[in-house]
Amino acid sequence: MEIPFTVTARKDTGLYNSKVGIWLFLASEVMLFGGLFSGYVFLRVYADYPWPERVLPVVPGLINTFILIGSSVTVVFAWAALKLRKWNQFRIFMLITLTCAAVFMVLKGIEYKAKWGHQAVRMDDFVILEGHTHPAGIDADGNVFHVGGHASVEDHSDGPHYIAAKTDDAHGGDHHAEHGPAVKDFRTNVVVFDANELVINLETYHEGVIGGILEQSEKANSANWTLVQPYVGRETAREDEQIILSAGAKLSLENLAKAREVYLAAKANDSKVRTKQLSDAWAKVKDIPGNKERPNHELVQDENFKINEDFDQFLVSPTSTVTFQTDEPITFVLKPREVRESAESALLADGSSLNGQLNTEASAIEMAADAIDFTFVAQRAEEKGVDPLAAVEKTWIIQNNPQVAAIWKAHTEKIAKLEEELLEKYGTDKQGNPKRVPTEKERYRITWQELVNYGEGNEEKGVFSGFAGPDHTKDYAKHFPEVLVPREEVNLETKFTPRWNTYYAIYFLITGLHGLHVIGGAIVLGYFLFFGKKMYLNNPEHLANRVEVGGLFWHFVDLVWIFLFPVLYLM
Amino acid sequence: MSAETHAEHAHGHDDHHEPGFVQKYIFSVDHKTIGIQYGIVSLLFLLIGFFLMMVMRWSIAYPDQPLPGWLSMFFSDDWKAKWLQDGKVTGATYNMFGAMHGTIMVFLGVVPLGFAAFGNYVTPLQIGAPDMAFPKLNMMSFWLYFVGGAIMLASFFLPTGAAQSGWTNYSPLAGLQQAEYPNQWMTGQTWWLLAMVFLITSSLLGSVNFITTIINLRAKGLTWMRMPFFVWAMLVTAFLLLLAFPPLEAAALMQLSDRVFDSSFFMPSGLYSKTLGALEVSGGGSPLLYQHLFWFLGHPEVYVLLLPAVACVAEIIPCNTRKPLWGYRPMVWSVLVLGFLSFIVWAHHMYMTGMGPMISTFFQTTTVLISIPSVILLTSLIISLWGGSIRFSVPMLWATAFIPMFGIGGLTGLPLAFNLVGLHLHDTYYVIGHFHYVVAPGILFGLFAGVYHWYPKVTGRYMNNFLGHLHFWPSLVFINLLFFPMLVQGMAGFHRRWYNGGAGYLAEAGNTTNVFGNTVLEYMHLNELMSTAAFLLALSQVPFIINVFLAWKAGRKVENDNPWEATTLEWATPTPPGHGNFTFEPAIYRGPYEYSRPDHDEDFLPQWHEPQQPEAAEKESKSAQV
Amino acid sequence: MADSVAEIKKATKLYGFIGLTLFFFTILTVAVATVEALDFGVRGFDHIDAIIGLAIASIKASLVMLIFMHLNHEKKLVYFLFVMSIIAAIFLVWLTGWAFEDPITYGQGDHAGEKSGFYNPENPVEK
Repeated sequence: MEIPFTVTARKDTGLYNSKVGIWLFLASEVMLFGGLFSGYVFLRVYADYPWPERVLPVVPGLINTFILIGSSVTVVFAWAALKLRKWNQFRIFMLITLTCAAVFMVLKGIEYKAKWGHQAVRMDDFVILEGHTHPAGIDADGNVFHVGGHASVEDHSDGPHYIAAKTDDAHGGDHHAEHGPAVKDFRTNVVVFDANELVINLETYHEGVIGGILEQSEKANSANWTLVQPYVGRETAREDEQIILSAGAKLSLENLAKAREVYLAAKANDSKVRTKQLSDAWAKVKDIPGNKERPNHELVQDENFKINEDFDQFLVSPTSTVTFQTDEPITFVLKPREVRESAESALLADGSSLNGQLNTEASAIEMAADAIDFTFVAQRAEEKGVDPLAAVEKTWIIQNNPQVAAIWKAHTEKIAKLEEELLEKYGTDKQGNPKRVPTEKERYRITWQELVNYGEGNEEKGVFSGFAGPDHTKDYAKHFPEVLVPREEVNLETKFTPRWNTYYAIYFLITGLHGLHVIGGAIVLGYFLFFGKKMYLNNPEHLANRVEVGGLFWHFVDLVWIFLFPVLYLM
Repeated sequence: MSAETHAEHAHGHDDHHEPGFVQKYIFSVDHKTIGIQYGIVSLLFLLIGFFLMMVMRWSIAYPDQPLPGWLSMFFSDDWKAKWLQDGKVTGATYNMFGAMHGTIMVFLGVVPLGFAAFGNYVTPLQIGAPDMAFPKLNMMSFWLYFVGGAIMLASFFLPTGAAQSGWTNYSPLAGLQQAEYPNQWMTGQTWWLLAMVFLITSSLLGSVNFITTIINLRAKGLTWMRMPFFVWAMLVTAFLLLLAFPPLEAAALMQLSDRVFDSSFFMPSGLYSKTLGALEVSGGGSPLLYQHLFWFLGHPEVYVLLLPAVACVAEIIPCNTRKPLWGYRPMVWSVLVLGFLSFIVWAHHMYMTGMGPMISTFFQTTTVLISIPSVILLTSLIISLWGGSIRFSVPMLWATAFIPMFGIGGLTGLPLAFNLVGLHLHDTYYVIGHFHYVVAPGILFGLFAGVYHWYPKVTGRYMNNFLGHLHFWPSLVFINLLFFPMLVQGMAGFHRRWYNGGAGYLAEAGNTTNVFGNTVLEYMHLNELMSTAAFLLALSQVPFIINVFLAWKAGRKVENDNPWEATTLEWATPTPPGHGNFTFEPAIYRGPYEYSRPDHDEDFLPQWHEPQQPEAAEKESKSAQV
Repeated sequence: MADSVAEIKKATKLYGFIGLTLFFFTILTVAVATVEALDFGVRGFDHIDAIIGLAIASIKASLVMLIFMHLNHEKKLVYFLFVMSIIAAIFLVWLTGWAFEDPITYGQGDHAGEKSGFYNPENPVEK
C-alpha cells in the first residue's frame, strides 16, 4: 500500500501532502504565537508598573537577527541546490544553516545566563535596586559573615568586611583568618535563622525540605536533633500502644517515615470507625417510620439522629506532630522564598517549623547596585498626585544610605543640565513648553554607566559594553554603591527571571519557545543533511520536497524572530 | 520503501510481510487500529468521568451521609482517610472530582471518541483513501493523547491530589491552588497543565493529519459536494481544533510558568490569600487574559464536541429512512458558517467579568447568529425523517433521540446568550443543565448511534438488539430525570459549585439578604431524584459494556460487506477492512445519499457503483457541477 | 513554482538580494530606535517608534513570506489556509482588546476629573 501524493502534487490542489501539512501546521503556529503576542500586548498596555522599555542589550539581539536571516537565505540556497541536483552545494549550505542555529542558541544562552545571575530587589516603597549580591559563608563556629565590598574586584581598597552573625567583638574582623577558610557557599540573599527546635507535621512533611534541614545540620557539625517526647502510637485500638520513636531518637528520614506510617494507619483506622459510626446513625434514624420520606437536611437536625459514642473506644487519635531539639542552636541558611520567617520561628514550605531566633542582620541583602530605579516610585506618586521628586527623597534608601543620596543628587543635577540642553537644541512649542524633555526613564532610573560616571570612573563605551550587562569583576565596578537592605524593607527579591515582572516573564516564555522551535527545526534539517544521502540517490525530488517543507518551517521561525527583535529589544 | 532497500534484507521479505503483535495492535500506524485504540481508551475515560460524577452526586444529595460501600470500594483506606471526612465527601475532594470530571469528559472522553475515534476510522474509508496522509504522525497523536491521559489520571495519586480549580482552571484561583506544596512540579495543578500540553499537541497533529487527508487523498470523482456530510463535519472540526487550540496552549504554558517559575502572567498586583498571606509574586498580570485565551478555545471546543455527533446522526438517518438527507447543501454551508462564527462568540462565557455594554452586545449578537446554522442543521435532520419508511434499528433509535435531546440543549442555551439573563443564570445549575443536555443526551447519544452503526464494519458482527434496547430506553428516561431538574434548580438559584447541594446556603436562609433562601429550600428535594437517576443511568450502561464485548466474539455475523445497505464508500471495503482498505481502486460517480431513486431498482445506489447507461452518467456529472 | 534550471538559478540571485535587503532593514530598525537624530515624536520610546518599528518588521516579514516562502506564486489552497489563520489571530487580538477597552464603569475614575473608570473604594461614586 502506498499513500498517494507524497512526492508528486495532486492535480486539483497542486500540492503534495507534506506541503499541505506544513502550511496547516504553520497556521496553528500563527495562532500559538498570536496568543503569545496578544499576551504581550495586553500585559504591556494594562501594566500597572513602569514597563521596562528598551532594557535588553541590543547588540546580541541584532547579531542574532543577522544570523537567523542569514540562515534563512542559506536554507533556500540549499533547497535550490537540491533542485539543481548539486549534493555538495546542498551540504555546504545546510551546514551553514545549522551552524547559524547553533550560534544563535549560544548567544541566547549567554543572554539568559547574565539575567539569571543578576539580582533585583523591589523595596516596600517601590524603589528598585539591581546588582550583584556578595558571597557569604558560615565559619566553623556557625557565625555568618558577609564578604562585603567589592569582593570579586582584585584591587579592593577597603578589603572585605564581615558582619558577624553573633555580634561578638572578640572575633571582629579577623574571623576569616582565625578559623581558616570558611565555607563560602551562598550569596547574601538568604534568611539566616538560629534554631534549636524543629516541629514536624507527620502528615505534611516533605522529604526534600527535611532533607535540606538535615544536610545543613550535618554541615554545622554541632549537636544533633533529638526527639523530645517519645512518639507513642498504635495502628488500631485493639493493639497496645508501642513506642515508635523513643525520646532522644535522632532526626532522620527513616525515623520520620516510621512514625508517619503508624500515624497514617491510625488515621485511616479512625476514619473507618467514624464512617461506621455515622453510617449506623443514619441507618437508625431512617429506620424510624416516616423518616425515609423526610429530606436529609431535616433528618440531620432530628433528635433521633445520634452518633453512638460507644464506638469512641475504637479510636486511636494519633499525635500529628513530633518535636526535635538540639542543645546548641544551629544556624540555618534558608532561601527566602522557601520560608515564612518571624522573629522567633521560621515556617518551612511543608508546614514544619523551626523555632529559635532570626538573625536579622545576616538576613539582610547586601549588594553592589548597578542600577537604582525610582520610576515606580515616581509613577505611584503621580497617581496619588504627589510630587515625584519629593517622594523619591522620602524613600528608605535615600534616607538611610548617604552614598545613594549623593548619587541621586548628582543625578538630579545631570538631568537639570540635560533639560537645558534639550531646550537649547529643540526650543519650545507654541504654548512655551519645551519640545523635548528627558524621559521618565532618564529622570528616575540611574543606569550602571551613570553610576560609574558619578563615581568619576571611566564608563566603558562601545558596542559591546552592554552585551551581557555590567561586569562586576571589572575595575569600574568599584563605583557601584554598596547597599544593605534589611529584609523587612524588601517587597520582592529575585534574579532577573520570569518572576521579576511580566515583561521578563513574557520575554523568557516567547524567546524560550522560539528557541525550542530553532532547536526542533535544526534537528529536522540536520536529519536531512546527515541521513538524506540515501533518499537523494533514490528519489531526489522527495528529499527536495522535504527540505522545502523543513525550510518553510525555518522561515517561519525566522519570521517570528523578525517581530520579536523590535518588540522585545527596541520597544 | 523501494525495491533496493528491501533487497538488502538477508531474509528476503517482500513488501507485505505480516507485522508482529506490537506493531499491529499497539504501535500501529493503520488508521483503523488507531481509531479503535482511541475508541477503547476514550470509552474507559468516559467511564471514569462518570464514576467521579456519581461520587459528586452522592455528596450533593446526601451531604451528611458517608459514601456507600459501592462507591467507596474503589478507594484505599489511606486515600479515604485523607480525602474523606468521616466517610463524607469534603469540599476539596468535591472540587477535585468536579475539575477532573469536566476535564476528563471533555478532553479525554468525548473529543477523542467523536473526533479521533470515529474520524480516524471512518473518514479515510469514506473518502476512499488507503490510510491517513501521515500514518506515523497519526500514531504519535494517539500516544501523545495516551500519555496526556495517563498524566491526568496519575495526578489523583499525588500528595496534593489532582487539580481542583474547575475544568476551566481560571487564574488566579488555579495559580494559588496547591501553591503551598514545596515541589511545584509534583502538584496536581501542574500535572493538569502538563497533561493539557500533551493533549493539545496531540489534537493539533491530529487535525493537521485530518485536513491534509481530506484535501489531498479523496478518491477519484469525489468532488467537494459529493463528500458525505460526515467528512465535511470532520473537516470543520479539524479546522476548529487547529486554530482554536494554540491560544490555549499559550495560556497553559503561561500558567505553567506562573506555577513553576513564579511568574505573574495571570496574577494581579496585591494578591492576598487566606492561607498564604500576601503573595510573594511581582503582580501586574491579567487574570482576564487567561479567560480570553481559554474561551477562545473553549467555545469552538463545544462545536468540536458537537459536530462529530451530528456527523454520525447525519449518516445514520438517511440510511435508516431510506431517503436522501434533506438539504445536504444548506447543511454543508451551515456547518462552514458555524465553524467560522464559533470563533467570535467566546466572550458570552464571560459576561460576569465586567464587560461593558458595547462588547457584550457584540458577543450577544454573534451568539444569537450562531443559532441560525445550528437550527438549519437540526431542522434538516428532522425534515429528513419526514415521509421516510423508517427502520427503527438500534442506531436509528439513538439518532432519533439525539434530535429532541440536542434540541433542548440548544434552546436552553438561547437565554444564556443574552447578557442580562446570563448575569442571573451565570454559574447556576441552569448552565449545567444546558450544557449537559447538549453533551450527554445530545452528543453522547449521537456517538452511541455511531458505535452501533459502524460496529458491524469494524468487527464483522452485529451488536445484540435486545441489549441495545435495554441500553437505550433506560438511558433515555434516566438521563432526562437527571438533567431536566437542573434547569429548574438553576432558575431557583442553585449555584453550580455547592458540594453539599445547598445545605450550607440553607443554613443562612433566615438572613434577609439571602434572596434565594426560600426557593432553594423549595427545590432541594430534587437533588435526591437526580442523584438516583444518575446511579440508575450508570446501571443502564452495563448492557452496553456487555454488548460490546459479547458481540465481538459471539455476535451475529454480517451477511455481506454492506449490511445496512448504505451508499457511502466505507461499506465498499471488505469486512473488517484490511491494511490499505480497498480491494479495488475506488472511484465515485454520484452524491452520498442516493436512496430510493425512482430510476433504480434497489432503494439505494452506492457512490461507487459504475453507472450503466451513459445518459445517467452525464446527468450525474451535471448535478455535481452545480 | 520555479522548476526549470534556469528559473531556479535566477531565483537564487533574488534570494541573495532579498537577504541583503533584510540586513539593511534590520540596521534601519535599530538606527531608528537608537540614533537620536532619527527619533521622531517625543524623546524616548512612544507610539510613533512602535509604529515605525512594527512597519519595518512587517515589510521584512512580507519579504520573507513572499520570496523565501514562495507566497508570490503559490496555490490557492495555501493562501486560503494562511489567510484563515491570520483572520483568526486578528479576531483573537481585536475582540480581546475590545473587551479590555470596554469595561463596565462606575461613573467616576481613579483620578480626579476622570469621567469613568473601575470602582475604587477610596474614591466612591458620589450620589
